[in-house]
Amino acid sequence: MDLATLAELLSATLRISTPLLFAAMGGLISERAGTFAVGIEGMMLAGAFGGALAALLTGSSAAGLVASLFAGMALALVVALATTRFRADQMVTGLAVNILALGLTSFLLRGLFGGRTPVIRLPTLPAWPVPLLGDIPLLGPVLFRQPPLVYLGFLLVVPVALYLAKTKSGLMLRAVGENPEAAFAVGTDPQRVRTLAILAGGAFAGLGGAVLSLQEVGTFTDGMTNGRGFIALAAIIVGRWNPFGAMAGCLLFGAVAALESRIQGWGLPVSSYVVQMVPYLVALGLLAGIGRSSKMPGAIGAPFLRH
Amino acid sequence: MLDPGPLVPRPAPAAPTPRADRLRGLLAGGGAQTFGLTLGAIVLALVITAGLILLAGKNPVTAYGALLRGAFGSLDRLAFALNKSTPYIITGVGVALCFRAKVINIGGEGQIALGGIAASFVVLMAPASLPAPLLLSLAMLAGAAAGALWALLAAFVFIKRNVHEVLCTLLLNFVGVLLVSEVLHAPLGEEGAGFPQSPLFPRAGWLPGLIAGTDLHIGILFAVAAAVLGHVLLWRTTFGFRLRILGASRPAAAYVGLSAARSTALVMAIAGALAGLAGGIEVSGVHNRLIEGFSHGFGFNAVAVALIAGLNPLAVLPAGLFLGFLEAGTLAMQREVGVPSSLVYVIEGLMMVFVLCAVGMGAHNRKV
Repeated sequence: MDLATLAELLSATLRISTPLLFAAMGGLISERAGTFAVGIEGMMLAGAFGGALAALLTGSSAAGLVASLFAGMALALVVALATTRFRADQMVTGLAVNILALGLTSFLLRGLFGGRTPVIRLPTLPAWPVPLLGDIPLLGPVLFRQPPLVYLGFLLVVPVALYLAKTKSGLMLRAVGENPEAAFAVGTDPQRVRTLAILAGGAFAGLGGAVLSLQEVGTFTDGMTNGRGFIALAAIIVGRWNPFGAMAGCLLFGAVAALESRIQGWGLPVSSYVVQMVPYLVALGLLAGIGRSSKMPGAIGAPFLRH
Repeated sequence: MLDPGPLVPRPAPAAPTPRADRLRGLLAGGGAQTFGLTLGAIVLALVITAGLILLAGKNPVTAYGALLRGAFGSLDRLAFALNKSTPYIITGVGVALCFRAKVINIGGEGQIALGGIAASFVVLMAPASLPAPLLLSLAMLAGAAAGALWALLAAFVFIKRNVHEVLCTLLLNFVGVLLVSEVLHAPLGEEGAGFPQSPLFPRAGWLPGLIAGTDLHIGILFAVAAAVLGHVLLWRTTFGFRLRILGASRPAAAYVGLSAARSTALVMAIAGALAGLAGGIEVSGVHNRLIEGFSHGFGFNAVAVALIAGLNPLAVLPAGLFLGFLEAGTLAMQREVGVPSSLVYVIEGLMMVFVLCAVGMGAHNRKV
């Protein structure tokens, strides 16, 4: 493999990891506060749709990004209300909003544009090469000639990690995820913290969807997230609920996906279906390998009841 | 142990007499309150959806009229809807049993896919001299076995490595659906077909029809049997009792010397076998061939059905019929009124959220 091919492969890995990374950071915040983030697949899809729609209507990608954020949050609000107020089962609520998002986006797409399979066409966000740094051999093309959301996604990991590890509010969020009764005893409202964490998670996941519709593909199609939210979920677990670990997980899945689309071009005798299975099998293998030592937040999945 | 939340609203009795057990069996899921709440959730979902139909510039009354006609309007439509309900019911019974033990198996989709593959292999590879009843029995058994193995794979990772079962089953769904494409790509694919599919099954591999002149096949009988047997298993057998204890409290189950691992593996195998059977029924009853993506979405629908049924196997029957008729109806709604059929996902999603809220609130009220 020559240097240019390698650079291209690594660059693609970063790009493909980016939507996963946004979703994983969102899911991580929600899960550290004690709510399973199964709904991020749907929140991503909502974000992809909201972003595409707003960008089409206003002609501005920035407006698209803001809209994707709110679209993700809108679906997150459903999850937050159902799980914190009504104590609905978190896991299955997540699955339900995924179905809801699939139906609503598909319905609205047809309802708004008419016809059976309307097509939205958007310009994709172009690369923003960083001056000077972009000219470094190998590193330049890989790290510094990427479209804007790639930078944003990878930069986001640092504040998320700092927030969780170093701030008082981050500490409280983790306390709610580990032991909501204790957090309640010291004057924190676990339901409020969880609601805010789920909403933040929805905003991030929505942006992750916008990466797909506004930066990668330039359109919205039914179910275009295609399981990426679930892969992000696996990345969180593989990364043991640590932001940098989750980032590593996303990069790993991104690398596998980047390889997948290139293996055919290299003439390897493997069918594309088998290659497509690899990320899921890798995720399962990693999870099985990590096994019992996983550091899942203590109170995740359990609704908080005020006595 | 992870506690995925209040999925089972009623705790299992500590020392059940057969009679108390039977009574409880009738009450759970069939109870007036649960029934009312579920009905309320369905109505609420339909009302909100009516708003969306209005938004799309169509008349909800006309649309829902088309929906009803599409589901019940003729013998053909009825047959179509019943066939559609069949895999949901069969898979839903298995999901309900798993959820009762708080084993969140959402792998129905992959298990159905594997069942379809195995049944197709048997039908397409078996010698032509095999009599139809034997061929079909073998195919259905192969489907059930493949589904059970696929579920056990997830159960193994869950039990041995303590990886959350939702992720194991979910990840295997993606692999299972891709496996269908893969076998159609190489060993089973029909050459020259525009779509990834297997050759048409020989006649002996078609599930017999139930009513002459319609597409209705005998799968719905399997569905009824699955619901009844699931009910008996859950409420009348020691194993069912174990499942309910496990669901109520894993520490308590461990305290009384109940092996969580063995019960979990067994209930996953049963659910997988049912899903695999549903896959076999779908390929040989509806399509008469293996088709790419034939199981897509079934897994989540089965979860929805099990939930709407309040995790009661007998109630899975009406819940599955409801969803099957709803889907048949919305397809007609799309044809006749031009309302997108994706509304069915909206209705399903809303209904699930409302039912979950109702169940969650109910569990809380009982605690106080």
